Formats: sequence, structure tokens, C-alpha cells
Amino acid sequence: MRLHLYSTWESFRVAVASLRSNKLRTALTLVGIVVGVSAVIAVVTIIKGLDQTVASTFSSQGSTVFTVAKRPLIITSREDFIKFNRRKDVTAEDADAIARLCPACWRSGIAANARELVKHADQKSEEVPVRGVTLSMFDIEDVSIDAGRIWSESEGEAGDEVCVVGTDILENLFGNAPPDQVVGKEIRLAGRPFQIVGVAEKQGKIFGFSRDNFVFFPYSTYQKMYGARDSITIHIQVPVAARLEEAQDQVRAIMRNRRGKTFADEDDGFALESQDVFLNLYGQATSNIYIVTIGVAAISLVVGGIVVMNIMLVSVTERTKEIGIRKAVGARRVDILRQFLIEAVLVTAIGGAIGVIAGFALAYLLSFLMGFPLLLSINSAVLGVGVSSVVGIISGLWPAWRAARLDPIEALRKE
Amino acid sequence: MRMLIETETMTEATATLDRPLNEGVLANGELLVRDAVPAALISMREIWKTYQMGSEEVHALHGVSFDVQKGEYVAIIGPSGSGKSTLMNLIGCLDTPSQGQYWINGKLVSAMDDDELARIRNKEVGFVFQTFNLLARASSLHNVELPLIYAGMGSAERHEKAKLAIAAVDLTDRMMHKPNELSGGQRQRVAIARALVNHPSILLADEPTGALDSTTSSDIMNLFEKLHAEGNTIIVVTHEADIAARAHRVISIRDGMIEKDERIR
Repeated sequence: MRLHLYSTWESFRVAVASLRSNKLRTALTLVGIVVGVSAVIAVVTIIKGLDQTVASTFSSQGSTVFTVAKRPLIITSREDFIKFNRRKDVTAEDADAIARLCPACWRSGIAANARELVKHADQKSEEVPVRGVTLSMFDIEDVSIDAGRIWSESEGEAGDEVCVVGTDILENLFGNAPPDQVVGKEIRLAGRPFQIVGVAEKQGKIFGFSRDNFVFFPYSTYQKMYGARDSITIHIQVPVAARLEEAQDQVRAIMRNRRGKTFADEDDGFALESQDVFLNLYGQATSNIYIVTIGVAAISLVVGGIVVMNIMLVSVTERTKEIGIRKAVGARRVDILRQFLIEAVLVTAIGGAIGVIAGFALAYLLSFLMGFPLLLSINSAVLGVGVSSVVGIISGLWPAWRAARLDPIEALRKE
Repeated sequence: MRMLIETETMTEATATLDRPLNEGVLANGELLVRDAVPAALISMREIWKTYQMGSEEVHALHGVSFDVQKGEYVAIIGPSGSGKSTLMNLIGCLDTPSQGQYWINGKLVSAMDDDELARIRNKEVGFVFQTFNLLARASSLHNVELPLIYAGMGSAERHEKAKLAIAAVDLTDRMMHKPNELSGGQRQRVAIARALVNHPSILLADEPTGALDSTTSSDIMNLFEKLHAEGNTIIVVTHEADIAARAHRVISIRDGMIEKDERIR
């Protein structure tokens, strides 16, 4: 055993010496591995950062919020769409009933959504999400005001044409004027003049979609504009996440009762959804993308492995003479095998380590550019070095075995 | 003591034990030693080497038998194609015979596998090649250390021994030089130091002066003589008569057989 360890150490030294004496070959091999490993690490790190962003974005509104609407947010078939459209509208009366009858609920609000052309002077912005909301929605959705104010209760009840806008509106219609200069200005929404009373704080982007492109105005105003033609969404918040289910059960019972649904009815006649819907959808939509992305990165690692194998094979051919000499002076098969194997593993392990660093650097750069949190995980580093070492062993095994089996006479004859 | 062996008894002897061992009388009355370990340092018995060339069998060696005693200086001479290279590979344990028995230092080499042969090459044989066969990218010191590495020797001891071997061939000042920084004669001396560093039973030289000019050749041959005087057993394989003439005994090979085996000194 001592001898064995000792020979391994000797082989290690021989391998290091040989790697050092062939700097170009070693460098090329390293590049192959570094590219593969850093691609894997960068992809894994970016994916984790993205996941984290999505999770925290949705949970910022909180797992304490759920909604009741006529249609679910995600409709996957035409049949469902038709079915959901036949449902009764969710109304302000439903919202009142929930507020009155659900003890587990903390607060609730109403939102009605539309998309409209928004104009200021000669500037216009199309398809802007506009929402008629009750005041409580600012609390539930955690929208803070950067400049100005939220409309007052009396303005809201009166159905005044006042609004709070997101920062994209400033950018698109006001030439990026500072928020406090925009307060008091007028925009035209669906042809009606609205006074900006407040500007919301910037929330940033998710998946490249801005979360700051909106106009909030009182729900009463929305009703005036659109009448009762569209269904609303009721947002309900519970004080703590632990009470979410309880509240959902109560709301479901209240709503079913109001829809006259019996126990036997499978369909609620409304859609009760929490933020999980988004996360689940996100998970479903992205898991395949992740597999493909990681697969692509893994392919580059395999290519790196083939590069190592190729270079090791060349190295065996190129060093046939050396192998012959070593065998002539007493190297056994296992000595040669070990030397080449250690060489392969060494170069891939070093490549792996550099690849981890390069991968993290790449991930850092990308997360900086795309605004994700940077989540460096030890796992991905271990994965990178581990996988590259395995690649090294596998891709080094065959060349090493070939080298070990060379006939010393033939090998010595080689020039 | 020289031993000559009858062909058929030899191969049988190992396989069957129907006759008492260590017995047998040759035609000339000499006692035949069959299975017992020969006393000679090198002992070849009815060595055949056969190559398959397509459907044809080519015999490179036709039942070669000879002994070399410890301390002998032997030249093996023969024209190209005579089988002397094959014989050299067999003596050096780079190859195994198709038939026959070969002992080095009391060990039956002809029955060994690859790794056992590697051990024998490491411990018993020191090679000196025509083209030196040094590791191009390694220093003289490292080249000389190489057999000791495979002998499993620790680095401190290895360094010490390698330095001594290099000093013995007068190259201490060239110890850290790589082969391409040395002259042909110096390279061959590094090779000789490498051959001797592990104190092998035999120094086996294959055309050691083939790549050298006449002055350097003469230096190397003088070095061989000195090493012989120090008690080393030397076998030189060559096709040059003047190189062979420096030895004390010349074995001439022709057509895969020993044509002549004479003591010249």
C-alpha cells in the first residue's frame, strides 16, 4: 500500500512534468474543459438566480394574497375559455359579501383590468394595462408612492378622473421627467382626461417585462367608464400565510353559496387562485427549458471530454518512444496507465477548477447585466469539478490503456 | 562450464517428470543439467523465435543455446537479418521466446508475463541503445533516475545514486542538461549511467557506437572496458568487427543460429 501510494505520487510528478513540458497541448486541453465547465456553472447559477427572482417577485405580493375571478389567469384550452365565459360575473357585491362574511380574511380589494391607449400632448402609448382599483389594492399589492399621493376616499367614491401611474408612463409620455414634475399633469385615457395625482415607485422588470407600465384609477371611475360589462377580480389578503387555506375555504363557501352551487357541483363557477398558480406555471414552463439549457451546457462538457481524449491519444502517439523507453527501463503497464490517467485527470481537474471560477465570473457578469441576485452554490462547483474529473478519467482511460499495452520493441523503434 | 543440450529432452523435461531430474549425458560426455537452475548468469536453452508472416512461419532464431558467466564481456555479431536483433530483444527481456528456456540470474524469464518482464528489465538489465533513447525533455539526472523511479526508490536515495552514476561517466557538470544540449558521446554516457544506476546483472548494448564518430566511439568502448574491469557483465550486439574485437568472447549469429562462439582474449 505504501509502495502504491508512493508510485501514485511519482506518477503524479511525472504527469505534472509532462504537462509542463507541453504547454500548448496542456493549454488547449484546459480550454476545452474550461469552456464546458464554465458553461455548466454559469447556466446553473443563472437559473438559480432567475428562480430566486421569480419566487421573490411573486412572494413580494405575498403568499398571503389570493384572488377570486370569473376566469382563471391561465386558460389552456378553447373549451375552457368558452366554459369560463358562461360563468356569472364576479361583482362588487361578491366582494362586499366576502368582506362581511369571511372571518379569516384580513382585507380585500377590487381590481378591474383593461388595456387602453394613453396619451399626453402628442405622445402616446398603446395597450397600457389600466386598472380600476379600490384604495385597499395599494396596500395589498404593496404599491408605494414615489411622488404625489393616492387619490382620496372621496375622490374614489365620486368616480373622479384621477390616477396613479407607473414610471414607464413618465418615460413614454413625459420624456422621462422626474416624478414630482409629472404630478398634477393630465393624461388622456380612452379619450378621457385623467389627472395624475401620484407616481408609483419603480418596481423593475421580470423576464424582460416591465412592471411599471400601468395606470391605476378608482374602481368607481372604471365602473363609470365601462359600466358593468366586465367582471372584476377580488383580491383577498390574510394576515399570515398560515391562514391562507382557511380563508380560501371560507371564501369558496361564500362564493359557492352566492352562485347557488350545491355540494354535487364540481365547478365552482368562479376561479379562486393564489400566487402558487404563477409559480407552478413558471415551474412547468421553465423546467423543460432548463433541461435543454443544461443539456446544451453538458454537451459542451462532453465535447471538452472528447478534446481531452483526442489530445491524450495524440499525446500517446507522439510519446510512443517515451513509453518505449520507460518500459525498457522497467515501467510496468500499470505505471504507464497511471501516468497517462493522472495526466488526463489532472488537466481536467485543473480545467474544472478554472472553469468553476470562469463560470462564476460569467454568472456574476450576466446577473449584473440582467439584474438577478447572484447565487453561487458550492454544489455547482462540486458538480463542475466532479463532472470534469469523471470526463477526464473516462476520456483518459482509453488512451492510457493503449499506451500501457504498447509493445516496448515497437515503441522504441518509433522516431 | 559450458553446457550443450539435446533438443528433445529439453522441452520434455519441463513438462514431464518421468525421468530423474538433473541427469543426462550429452554426446560429448558432459553432464546435462536440465531442470535445475543453471549456475550461469545468463542461460539460453534451445531458444526459438517464430514469427507468423501471413500463412508462413518465419524462424528468426533456430534453437539458440548459450551461457554467459558473470563478469564476461561478450560481443554478439552478425549481419543484418541474422537474428541478432531478435536475440538482443530476448536477452534484454523486451520479448519472450516462442520456445525454449531463458534464465537470468537464476530466474526463468521465458515463462514470465509482461509485468514480470518489466521487473527483470528494471533489476537485471541495463540497456544502451544505438540512438541513446533518452527522454528528450528531461535532464540527464532525471534520465538516469528513471529506472530507480520504477524500482520504487525514494527521491533522496534516488538522487544520490543517480549523481554517483553520472559521476562515474564523468558528466557531473552536465547533470542538469537536457539531451539536446549534449553531444552524441555525452548522450551515450548518460545512457550508460542510466543503464548502470540500478546495478543490473548485465549491461546490454545494441550498436552502442552506431551513431557516433570514431573518436567518440573509441571513448565509449574504453568506458566499456573500464566497466568490465570493474566487474560488470557486458553484452554488446554489433555488426562492426572492430567493436566486437574489443570483447573477450564473440558469438557469431547467422540465419538464426550460432555459427561460431569463440573466446578471443
